[in-house]
Amino acid sequence: MSDETSQTISNIKEGEEFIVIDGIRKVYRKDEQETVAIDRIDLKINKGELVSIVGPSGCGKTTILRMIAGLLEPTEGTITIAGKQCTEPGPDRGMVFQDFALFPWRSVRRNVEFGLEVNGVPKEERRERAEKYIELVGLGDFKNAKIHELSGGMKQRVGIARAMVNHPDVILMDEPFGALDAQTRNIMQAQLSNILEKTEQTVIFITHSVDEALFLSDRVVILSKRPSTIKEIIEVPWPRPRDRSAPEFTAQRKKILEELEKENVMFTK
Amino acid sequence: MMFKYDENNKYHRFGKTCMIIFLSLIMFVEIWWLLSIAANTNVFPTPAETFDAFIEFFENGYSHQSAWSIIWSSLSLFIEGFLLALVIAVPLGLFLGYSKMLNTFVTPMIEVLRPIAPIAWAPVFIYGINYSVGPILVVFIGIFFPLLTNVIFGVKKIDQNLIDASRTLGASKTQQFTKVMVPSAVPYLMNGVKVGLGVGWMCIVAAEMYSPVSIGVGYCLQSMCQNSLWPSVFAILVVIAILGIMTTSVAEYSQKAIAKRMGME
Repeated sequence: MSDETSQTISNIKEGEEFIVIDGIRKVYRKDEQETVAIDRIDLKINKGELVSIVGPSGCGKTTILRMIAGLLEPTEGTITIAGKQCTEPGPDRGMVFQDFALFPWRSVRRNVEFGLEVNGVPKEERRERAEKYIELVGLGDFKNAKIHELSGGMKQRVGIARAMVNHPDVILMDEPFGALDAQTRNIMQAQLSNILEKTEQTVIFITHSVDEALFLSDRVVILSKRPSTIKEIIEVPWPRPRDRSAPEFTAQRKKILEELEKENVMFTK
Repeated sequence: MMFKYDENNKYHRFGKTCMIIFLSLIMFVEIWWLLSIAANTNVFPTPAETFDAFIEFFENGYSHQSAWSIIWSSLSLFIEGFLLALVIAVPLGLFLGYSKMLNTFVTPMIEVLRPIAPIAWAPVFIYGINYSVGPILVVFIGIFFPLLTNVIFGVKKIDQNLIDASRTLGASKTQQFTKVMVPSAVPYLMNGVKVGLGVGWMCIVAAEMYSPVSIGVGYCLQSMCQNSLWPSVFAILVVIAILGIMTTSVAEYSQKAIAKRMGME
């Protein structure tokens, strides 16, 4: 990994407090009806950290991520990144979508170039930078391929390259491997872990899979059912690459699953 | 060696389709022939009489005009009407699909005009405005509405995730419009073109019947009817059918080619 690919926009050092989510509340209003999606979330994330958010389905995980991305506005509370309050999307935050959200009329390379193109990077530099990231995610031979020619796993690698090429400080991943089969998922997790090891980027990762969260993250945030609050935050201190069959791994997974089970029981009642 | 049909061979499949089309057309001519004999009237010539008149039309033309200049006269009006519709309906459709308020405002006006058959405008435009511009405007009306509706639909149908993705990558409002909304509406636009060309071609023939200056296929048709040249009338109907099939085929082919190129089959 060259220095250039690990650059980020802000000059906050790794390990310092970076993202501050303060008293976030999200209420959806439609006509007279009010639905409280998120009751109250306070969370501080350090630079370079990988934080996963897990929770029962429908608990508003994606809503939190979209608020950090600036795609949605919180009803109350603020989100600050590097001391700057975020109210709209910006190049300091890249996002990876569950259904890939790639532009089908563009080739792999032109998809990755999109962010550079809209930010006015000259053509030559754009191509060079895009190709570097396409290599990084292992799609060098497919840079001119059309999106519909790729498998699900390859599509999501394009999605990751496209988010990273802008050198964002934060990468927001919304169940990025949710649409992939179990085997591809494991491969992608290992590759992502590898890529992120070499960069300073902060990652917020939404997932359904406790296994995935424990495999990748520095911390796992467990949300309650709707209206969501933070139920528990679990530190995952183990060195990488992690062993899914290690006793502490399975024990921790069991514990989190039991926590979630309680939420689901209450949720379905 | 015996020929054996293989469903997995694309040439065999193509051959089979061609055979079926061929048989269908033979059957069509056969039925026409029988009906014509049964009717036993000058007004309804047999395919053989029509074929002779068809050859005669291409050899000698009609009313001091060659067959090609008659066809070109209709085609050029058609192309002009189509281009005019394209230039107006596409940008308008993009904006109406983009802005909900504008759409709500303009929709009632469009809905008032849409039920009026394009041909109903023919006498209005041709006698009211101008003999040469009138037919173009009739074609324009015929193509305009299907094109507009499809473009609006295309912009509305856009995958919200693609817009969100472009926003997180730093696209401005204008860039979201030009780089995401417009390209994702293109396949719908092409569908509108396909439908519009079919309607437009019907309009040109009808519009020309009102226009004393344009010596096109519509004029020939009317003049031949008045002079009771029935085999020639049927020859012209065949010309109209062939040109219509050609226009729709071109539209269909380009629609598929563009959809494939844009990865949106």
